[in-house]
Amino acid sequence: MDILKNKTNDISAFFENTLSAMDKRPLIGWFCTYTPEELIVAGGFIPVRIFGRKKIIKSESYFPINFCPYIKSSWESLLSDADNFKAVIFTNSCDGMRRFFDTTNKYLKDTPSYLLDVPHLRGAGSIDFFANNIGNMKRFIENLNGKKISRREIENAVSLINRKRKLLKKYSQIFTKLPELISISSYFKVMELSMISAPEIFTDDLERYLKFIMKAGAENITNLQPNYKNTPAIMIIGNFITEEKLWGMLSAMNLKLASDDLCISSRYFEKQIELGDDSDFLNLIAERYLNKPQCMRMADLGLKLKEIENNIIKNNIEGVIFISLKFCDTVLYSFPLLKQKLNHLGIPALYLEIEYNNFSEGQLKTRVQAFLEML
Amino acid sequence: MGIKDKLKTGIQRNLNQKYIIRLLDIISKKPVLYAYGSTFSSLSDKYLNIFTIESLKNAYSDNNHPIGYGSLFLPYEMFHALGITPFLPEVMAGFTAGLGLATQTLKESSSNWYSQDLCTFHRSASGAVELDVFPKPDFIITTNLACDAAQKSFYIHSVKYNIEKNFYLIDVPYQYSKESISYLAGQIKNICVDISSKSGMKLDTSKFKEVISLSNEFRKWAIKVNNLRKTLTNYPPYYNGLNFILPFHGLAGTREAVILYNQMYKELKKYLDKEEKEKSGKNKSPKRILWLHLKPYYKNEIFDTLERENCRVVFEEINYIHWPELDCKRPFESLAKKMLSHFLAGSIDNRINVILKAARDYKVDGAILFSHWGCRQSNGGARIIKDSLNNLNIPTLVLDGDCVDQNNSSQGQVKTRLQGFVEILNS
Repeated sequence: MDILKNKTNDISAFFENTLSAMDKRPLIGWFCTYTPEELIVAGGFIPVRIFGRKKIIKSESYFPINFCPYIKSSWESLLSDADNFKAVIFTNSCDGMRRFFDTTNKYLKDTPSYLLDVPHLRGAGSIDFFANNIGNMKRFIENLNGKKISRREIENAVSLINRKRKLLKKYSQIFTKLPELISISSYFKVMELSMISAPEIFTDDLERYLKFIMKAGAENITNLQPNYKNTPAIMIIGNFITEEKLWGMLSAMNLKLASDDLCISSRYFEKQIELGDDSDFLNLIAERYLNKPQCMRMADLGLKLKEIENNIIKNNIEGVIFISLKFCDTVLYSFPLLKQKLNHLGIPALYLEIEYNNFSEGQLKTRVQAFLEML
Repeated sequence: MGIKDKLKTGIQRNLNQKYIIRLLDIISKKPVLYAYGSTFSSLSDKYLNIFTIESLKNAYSDNNHPIGYGSLFLPYEMFHALGITPFLPEVMAGFTAGLGLATQTLKESSSNWYSQDLCTFHRSASGAVELDVFPKPDFIITTNLACDAAQKSFYIHSVKYNIEKNFYLIDVPYQYSKESISYLAGQIKNICVDISSKSGMKLDTSKFKEVISLSNEFRKWAIKVNNLRKTLTNYPPYYNGLNFILPFHGLAGTREAVILYNQMYKELKKYLDKEEKEKSGKNKSPKRILWLHLKPYYKNEIFDTLERENCRVVFEEINYIHWPELDCKRPFESLAKKMLSHFLAGSIDNRINVILKAARDYKVDGAILFSHWGCRQSNGGARIIKDSLNNLNIPTLVLDGDCVDQNNSSQGQVKTRLQGFVEILNS
């Protein structure tokens, strides 16, 4: 069993092609799940989500102490690696991102950057407005190459990214069914790769990986299930949580992650774009992005809470771990109402605020352990 | 103990709506109100306090007018045209600081799971809402201008009062463009139509015209005040341009705002005339300071320290008139333009342009950016602002502190930093 488990979680082996970075197309950096990757791909670029893995040093002199640590870390990355990118695309996700875009514009003048204005509302007027903004983003990408993006190129890109999202969703479903086989660390590692790699190569690797897991799961289903039978189903809600050490810690604790609401997972891959023959593709792209599982930045927090409630019921969630990066206003402001909702549903919640790339394992481990014991 | 201290102590001991209503009933009676107003040494302060109390009295009265919570940077003309009495929780949070209530309200917000890393204007207002200190609203209108916090905290209030269906967000686009004006004007119009149908009041175009005309009148006087301040050095005692947040925003479109800014102009004009007459060159001119962002609303020594060091705040960016004259014939479009032209909307360049213009117009020697704890939209641009002013050889002090929570700001440290800054200005 351990051999199978080790093999399944050897992500570097399954995603060897993805990790080899053999695709030499230029890169466009992006940050937020409201960025239509399809247009970046259609423009001939590889969309790479900036994870900001750098330790914050120079960045401290640009932003105040109580400022989003993900932004600071990403700025640190740009300060040293901006040359890797042909351009960087921001969204007006939050106050912090607006100022991050300003800072990039001001101090990294050689790196073309663009801010996509994403509405906070989701009605018909907002979709039209967003479609217009996506059109402007398309023009920005076209100017980088000096080449128009054709309808065919967009259709191909939409179809490719749809395929990626579909496979990621399937992977997510298998992961929740087979927690014994796939570790939390592996799950999030694959999610990360999906956002930083050439989509064609990644989806091929993922498809092969899924075939392997499904076969292994089917053959070993009786051996796999029992260990997690009496483990409470947990949902994690938060923002840009990418701490490998955290996932490692939760994997080691055999935590049963039955659902999540994070912008590096379900908020990224849920919902497809359906292109018709005569459709206005910019409107359809806008519609998909505004109607995907929403970020707490959107106006209707009630709708967000409803999405979470549906997931809790559907997945028989018994406890919620709420993890936010420090100083993330939009997510932190969602907690008072989320807590009320969870109280109403009788679901216990653990509240955690963490730094980025600076994980204090001991303290967190004790709190998570106590929470799981309580459940 | 003076009347103001008595009011303060009374409300600290009885922080509940019943007591506030009783207090407002007493103080808003014309003779008492004007007697109270006359305790202020400046005419501008007198009118400010009278109109503020009247506005609060309206909000706390059961007078059949709908009450609308609004965030600071809304076009309040729409409230007045719709017959909604505005109530500004963020401004009231400043009052909680001034009245020494913030410890209670902040504690309440913490016990309701508001993180301590969030802005204290919103935390304190949320605490007051949870304590049922504020009047119950019929509508809540908010905007993402200038920050994320209002739209989130105000939504929580709508849940508390069970009026989620009467919660409206005005989504201000990032860029000023034809499409943005149309998107924004559409939202404002839809909100007005929806509110008037819910409140059973007709959307009265003549009322809109009247309100817009008053707003233009207020704008005219505010511009005159700002122009006059370009040369004015000596102000009425205790005059502080950062105190006029409520009339500048919440009363735009009312006769009160017109009266206040008209009186302010007359009062400051007298000071300017006197100053020009007495120009002798004997006194050393004070250092001219541009103030960025807001100030602490609890008792503090910042402005006294500056005064003692012969420095004078000659302009505050918050008082900059950023919008063009409103068009009575196109009210929704005009209000959309007012919001979109705000220097805190969109790119930091919009704010920088206003700051640099003010720095030149008011011939400032230095600038102070009050870095309010948890204000990401302002503090996130502090480095760019500082660098931009430095390019004009204008020294800038980024002064860390908290506008609402006295316990989150060290008075000693603030004083030391101010003195150090003044030394730089004098060197």
